[in-house]
Amino acid sequence: MSDTAVFKLGISFHTFVQEYISFVYSFEDMMEMASVLGGGVEIVGPSNHRGFPEVTPEFERAFKSAVERYGLVPTCYGSYADPFMLPDRDLTPEEMYEYIVPQLKGAAKLGFPVVRLQYFSHLIAERLIPWAEKLGLRMGYELHTPLTIESPTVLMLREQIDRLGSDRLGLIPDFGIFARSIPQYHLDMGRRAGMSEELIAKGQQLWAAKTDKHDAIEAVRAAGGDEKAVSWVNMVWGSLGHSEPAALAEIKDHIVHCHGKFYSIVDGDEPDLRYEEVVKSLLDIGYTGWVSTEYEGGPADTFAIAKAHQEMMKTYINKHRQR
Amino acid sequence: MQREGHVIGGGAQRPRPKDRDFLCEEDIRQTVLEGRPGLLFRLRLPSYRSLPLSCIERIELSVDGRPVEEAGMRLILGGHSYRLDELPGLSKVFWWILDQADLFVPWSERLQAGEHEVEGMMVTVEPYMTGGRYAMYYPSRRRLALASEE
Repeated sequence: MSDTAVFKLGISFHTFVQEYISFVYSFEDMMEMASVLGGGVEIVGPSNHRGFPEVTPEFERAFKSAVERYGLVPTCYGSYADPFMLPDRDLTPEEMYEYIVPQLKGAAKLGFPVVRLQYFSHLIAERLIPWAEKLGLRMGYELHTPLTIESPTVLMLREQIDRLGSDRLGLIPDFGIFARSIPQYHLDMGRRAGMSEELIAKGQQLWAAKTDKHDAIEAVRAAGGDEKAVSWVNMVWGSLGHSEPAALAEIKDHIVHCHGKFYSIVDGDEPDLRYEEVVKSLLDIGYTGWVSTEYEGGPADTFAIAKAHQEMMKTYINKHRQR
Repeated sequence: MQREGHVIGGGAQRPRPKDRDFLCEEDIRQTVLEGRPGLLFRLRLPSYRSLPLSCIERIELSVDGRPVEEAGMRLILGGHSYRLDELPGLSKVFWWILDQADLFVPWSERLQAGEHEVEGMMVTVEPYMTGGRYAMYYPSRRRLALASEE
């Protein structure tokens, strides 16, 4: 066998969130499912354990015990910056630091090698790097729409990463930035919000033309859209981005983890996200880390759809890998 | 670890996700809190993650069309009872997503047996949206029965 190494497939528990928060799946159930979904586990801090922003000894033991029992690999801990948690003002950088450091410690206790940072954390990244070194962690800013690879904010983050020059700080692309069209899930949401077919079609045109969000809101208002239509624009423009899959090459040295966001699988493909190009690009740049399957569509059998997502990924890996 | 016939993920037979209204589908209980008679309603947090109590902006409730004054209500979580006007200051107290709370509503008369129309709204902040600070509105309307007293 002379296969070159390819990236690995795991699961983000965000996939199961609807079942989890309504007591259909327990945490233990999700750990069991992870064992047949690639074995890599990504958890969402404030959703998946009590005691956030800290990790309790009880959860530490429960988590490690399940990791041992099912042969899992902790991949990424989802931390939160929550800058708007106070009603009267934003958190100060000092308060944000006090909030995030316990999350880094908790992630390390649980055996995670990577922590997802929200980009707000860039204000204190320089102070987090020594903690990441001490705890043996890498941290990555999540590139979630509207933070596309080419956006001014991400250019700023990339400059900061270059300037700080530490391999403890990198990026976590979320594949929702590689959209080709607006998913059925979002179109149906517009219909439920009372938008007419004409207004939805208008929204699709504006999105396809890469219209700036504020201009799109003006255009939707001018076409008769109400506040619900405006919040639909906010949601769509905040979920689906126009990054080029080939642009992964520009950030290849900084990718510490990936979120395999998806909304549906139709005939073995994600019709609205450019998955084949994304997989090809990840193989081209030699990425060997984890990609967490991360479903965010409507009610579904999330276990079955997560399996379908990983089958799609494997099909494209086999098609494009260099042997 | 697998049992015979055990299906990972539960397969087609698994239960479907239930609703996530902030008002739970549970009977109304009569109680006395801090010396005052009143009613207890079971609440859940209508997010997908834990939030500090400072992210609860507002809770409104009416019973059989009669609005309840905010000053009398108490949010009871983890054995502590909080006035709603205390919540903005409680950024270190987290409501874990799988925990349920009780809302105490002062009610001096006895509530009649049977079903009652309960309607309300919870307003929260999801404190991390890239687009900035904005409130989420969660209305709920249910017919809830008065719990029988054994």
